[in-house]
Amino acid sequence: MKPAPFDYVRASSVEEAVAALAASNGDAKVLAGGQSLVPMLNFRVVDAPLFVDINGIEGLDLIEEKEDGGLRIGALTRHFALETSVSVRDRFPVLHEAMKHVAHLAIRNRGTIGGSLSHADPAAELPMMAVLLDAKIVAAGPDGEREIPAGDFFTAPLTTVLAPDEIVVAVDLPGLPAVTGWGFEEFAQRRGDFAVAGVAALVTREGGTVTNTRIALMGLHDTPVRARSAEAAFGESGIEAAAVAARQDADPMNDLHGSADYRRHLAEALTRRVLTAALERAAQ
Amino acid sequence: MSPPDDIDLTRPQFIGAKVMRREDPRLLAGEGNYVADIKRHGMLHIAFRRSDHAHALITNVDVSAAQAMEGVVAVYTGADITRLANPYQATSRMKNYQATFIPPLAVDKVRYVGEAVVAVVAISRYVAEDALALVELEYESLAVLVDPEEALKPDAPKLHDDLESNILAAREFARGEVAEAFADAAATAGGRFHFTRTTPVTIEARASVAEYDKGTRTLTLHCTTQIPGIVRDKLSEIFDLPGPRIRVIAPDVGGGFGGKTSLYSEEIVACAIARDLGKPVKWVSDRMEDLMTTGNAFDEIVDAEIAVAEDGRILGVKADVIGDVGAYSIYPWTATIEPVQVVSFLPGPYRIANYAARVRAVATNKTLTGAYRGVGRPISVFVMDRLLDMAARKIGMDPAEIRRRNLVNDDEFPYKAASGLVWDKSAFQACLREAADGIGYDELRREQAAARADGRWVGIGVACYAELTGVGSRIAVAPGMPINTGTETCNVAIDSTGAVTASFGLASQGQGMETTLAQVVAEELGVKVEDVDIVLGDTASVSHGTGTYASRGAVFGGGAGILAAKAVHEKIVRVAGHLLEAAVEDIETGNGDVRVKGTDKSMTIRDLARALYSDMGRVPKDMRDEIDNLEATKVYDPFFGTTTSASHMCLIEVDPETYKVEIKRYIVVEDCGRVINPLIADGQAHGGVAQGIGVALMEEVIHDKTGQVLTASLVDYVVPSAVEIPSIDVVHVEAELPGTVGGFRGLGEGGTIGAPACIANAISDALSPLGIEIMEIPATPERLFRLVEAAKAD
Repeated sequence: MKPAPFDYVRASSVEEAVAALAASNGDAKVLAGGQSLVPMLNFRVVDAPLFVDINGIEGLDLIEEKEDGGLRIGALTRHFALETSVSVRDRFPVLHEAMKHVAHLAIRNRGTIGGSLSHADPAAELPMMAVLLDAKIVAAGPDGEREIPAGDFFTAPLTTVLAPDEIVVAVDLPGLPAVTGWGFEEFAQRRGDFAVAGVAALVTREGGTVTNTRIALMGLHDTPVRARSAEAAFGESGIEAAAVAARQDADPMNDLHGSADYRRHLAEALTRRVLTAALERAAQ
Repeated sequence: MSPPDDIDLTRPQFIGAKVMRREDPRLLAGEGNYVADIKRHGMLHIAFRRSDHAHALITNVDVSAAQAMEGVVAVYTGADITRLANPYQATSRMKNYQATFIPPLAVDKVRYVGEAVVAVVAISRYVAEDALALVELEYESLAVLVDPEEALKPDAPKLHDDLESNILAAREFARGEVAEAFADAAATAGGRFHFTRTTPVTIEARASVAEYDKGTRTLTLHCTTQIPGIVRDKLSEIFDLPGPRIRVIAPDVGGGFGGKTSLYSEEIVACAIARDLGKPVKWVSDRMEDLMTTGNAFDEIVDAEIAVAEDGRILGVKADVIGDVGAYSIYPWTATIEPVQVVSFLPGPYRIANYAARVRAVATNKTLTGAYRGVGRPISVFVMDRLLDMAARKIGMDPAEIRRRNLVNDDEFPYKAASGLVWDKSAFQACLREAADGIGYDELRREQAAARADGRWVGIGVACYAELTGVGSRIAVAPGMPINTGTETCNVAIDSTGAVTASFGLASQGQGMETTLAQVVAEELGVKVEDVDIVLGDTASVSHGTGTYASRGAVFGGGAGILAAKAVHEKIVRVAGHLLEAAVEDIETGNGDVRVKGTDKSMTIRDLARALYSDMGRVPKDMRDEIDNLEATKVYDPFFGTTTSASHMCLIEVDPETYKVEIKRYIVVEDCGRVINPLIADGQAHGGVAQGIGVALMEEVIHDKTGQVLTASLVDYVVPSAVEIPSIDVVHVEAELPGTVGGFRGLGEGGTIGAPACIANAISDALSPLGIEIMEIPATPERLFRLVEAAKAD
């Protein structure tokens, strides 16, 4: 379990990293925390001639509070920094909760936000949180930066709209409305494993009525997705209807950790739990 | 049976003490010396190209491109190894057994995915792995046999052309009148049980460093084995080298659990290459190789039924076992070890007059199965204790009560079990009683009733077992196998510096034997525990030894250690009698000193050694001629071995939405005889139960229809982590001590033996309102989901 030979460049700026990627004709890989990439490299699942290490780029590990109540999170922010950030805890408690479920502490110490988003595992917490929170993913390429809505970013398992010479530099989370309750539930047989299924919800109330509901799924589709029919059903008929509708939003795979039927069952059960929790929190 | 008269059981100073594990500071600080840590000048690295076919003819092997790669020193094929190593197989005197040859590198045919085909030797493991891709192999696919029921059919394609069939072993047991017993039954219960295939995951994967000294024509193999003596003896035949010119050393080893109790192809290949090239070579298994090739475990289908009377008495049991043993019959244990033990141990600690069982071990295109903590008994207990619960449910009896009525009673020992095994006296009933008291069984039943009324799925599990440990020469660990597992050797020596060394044929994989054996030897010699050095895992240290497996370390090591220390003690006393001018009966030892009882006359053992070895004149020549030295080698043979027994109880709750099983309480009450070190004894129970939890709830090696291993990483082969393991209460019942020297019973495997049955019973109990019985493990959330859906659909 040793990697094939490869070249290595340690970039000191985003421009330098992008230039190195562009020069490699799309064969290079970006090395950030390395928590998914390095095992794949050692398994020889990934075989790239060049690795562009972005850990030396300054200024990419900031968590900045925005005036709209949102946050800008630099791509090199480690999972552990996000998990323990007071700004995240206060402004996005659902993200604070989700981060506790990301793998194990040793991995959270090294793994990065940009890496997780770019890796795009459909059962991972951060891509799902990006979709739930309507994040804008900021990518830098040879022509400068562009913003990509999270809903458009993930296209297939382990696949995004990023061009081979683009890297994620930050993610923008717009602020949440004042009275927003949240719920997050993930099922894995073992703590720290990729989710067999996970559901998160945000419920906004104004003057006693629910004005906005967002539900997102992970491990239940080939990308993280919003559960649109469950969201609609919740607004019209409440929790039970939403839970049942979530089965339709899910389009899960059969794999060793769970059949599609079991995952659909989990989609319903977890949707019920997260909506119950979100409603309760929105009432407080 | 009572202990031999000459063994003093009355003065335990260290035996029974909570001595801290002396190996831990070294291992925990990263100062251990594992095989992967070994570096030698000019050392080369081996990587294996492994079969990606489960069953195929090898039609072409072209290694020229790999050979030509820069940094590659040599490339070996099956034909090359055939030239360098004699063929070998695991023979057995058992009737209806067929041995298979196990080619270290496949020749002409591959029989499982992961089988080694070509070995590349290079200046680094990196280069060796790069070159693997350049090895060109062509195969012609053969029909793949992954289903043992297909493989045992008379017209099934054969894995081994020279054998009569794929049935490597078959055996039947019968006692009493089973048909009549079933005809008279108030209730019968049973069905098809499936205990899936698992693999013993160790922190340290298997590894070998082989060196050949051309000058002395000596081969040294450092490897991760649990059985250095068995490996040395077989390598002697494979390479036509006498024992003194082969040394097998197991240094620090990170876990074994049975997976390292077999001779492995990679060990033979590493030795063959080291000898051929005259260079040291290293192979360290990566996790993927380890999960694909280390001896797998269990994998049996058992059709079983029980007949009980109205009062809960077991009238009869019948069982038909099919063991899927994989592609070859593993050395030295043979393909019989796992499935035959299932039927031998199935009657368990219960009084069963009528028993009929059949077992067939069937070869398939999968990794070999071998020993894994518990060997056969986890399945025996799973089937027997599930049957008891199913029967109890039918006659409306409490699971603890039906066991109380059927466990062999104290006045019935020695008891000959239905399969012919003999249990010496062990605390069967007391373990059950204390487990019920310890967990608060009656109160838990009340809590369960309340929880059930609230719609919660709460269940209580009970399982009881008995096992033979420290099995001596009277019966082989595996029937008819070619090696002696019934004796073990210890040498205790006090050298001219006064230091005590005790050397054993045993090897340690983390069990704490450096501590427990030092306690035993120190106790007998009358020295401090920290002043006894323990040597394990080195074939140069004793003339015969096999290693550590089958819960034998405490019984054999403790026994041989006591006998050897006793012999040295006698020598010390005689020399001391002269030096201190006292009668030998008046000499006592303790704390590293020898004293004349009731006086202040004393000397240190160190000074005594100096007097004997170095200060000529202090001990007269005739006494020195008689004593020789302060050293003794003793071989201990417990002959029958002894019975270890236990009861496990647990409380679990199944989440009715996610189907996750939460273990809320767990208790083990065991009779392992005299406890040498309670910390270590508890740790063995904890670790065993943890593995049993993995087997019960998570772990399964999965092959697809083409024989590909789908669980070749620790993402897909799910072992429990610390978070999934509950707090486990352990109680040791030191009832009447057995007749082993020291009064020890083995305890290494017990946790794994009891836990799968206990948890399966608890889940079945929790889901009993739905009429669900757990017949297959691991009881994953997916399986529970399907069972509940099916039950709801009925």
